[in-house]
Amino acid sequence: MTTVRPKKFVCTMCRNNVKYIDYKDAGMLSQFITFYRSIQSRFHTGICLKHQKQLSNAIKKARIMGLLPFVRYEK
Amino acid sequence: MKKYEIMAIIVNSVDEKEAKKIADESLKKRITNFGGKVTFEDFWGAKGFAYKIDGEKWGYYTVLQFDFDGSKVKDLERELNIDTNIVRFLVTKVPKDAPKPVKYADLKASEAKAKEEEVKETEKKEETAEKAEKPAKKAETPKEEKKPEVKKDKIDEKLDAILDDASIGL
Repeated sequence: MTTVRPKKFVCTMCRNNVKYIDYKDAGMLSQFITFYRSIQSRFHTGICLKHQKQLSNAIKKARIMGLLPFVRYEK
Repeated sequence: MKKYEIMAIIVNSVDEKEAKKIADESLKKRITNFGGKVTFEDFWGAKGFAYKIDGEKWGYYTVLQFDFDGSKVKDLERELNIDTNIVRFLVTKVPKDAPKPVKYADLKASEAKAKEEEVKETEKKEETAEKAEKPAKKAETPKEEKKPEVKKDKIDEKLDAILDDASIGL
């Protein structure tokens, strides 16, 4: 009897051959933040660790420059 | 010499022309004075912040890429911190395998195009769905239009009959 293995999950960034995540592209980064504007975890984004680290660093840079918010509501 | 990138926000109390001047004088000139070489220049223009910075809601964004001596970055940052025309700035290293920098206007245009295409695709889908529904609708609509016309005359007749009725005492 042959065992059927589940398909190996490939990170979407790896599939598109992304080499550098730009912090200036706020539109792309906003896909990876939650309703309350926190960074989505790797469990939800489904991205490999290498790309997730680059992504979270890019989001933090974008936040410092006022391209992305830190929190949902600002007083 | 390594590749660096600087993004800076210029105060919003000046015109766009003056903001460009400030970007030239306080950023580009300083970099060249320290022995750097500017390779890419992009003035974004006025842009709103995601949150209030120093009590302001918007500012002028500029991005520069330049070759620079790594040991002099601290001196550049120290001077920029003193400059009152610059609200905030960020100096980052550009990795070797990074793609060529794209101008902000081009990036926005490509995003808008992608959005338009999406809208067109959804419209097409809706149209096809409507076409499938249309033959069924055509049979229904004329009947609905005719019915109220017949009823109106009857209603008028009934109203006249009621108004003529003296027992109500109108």
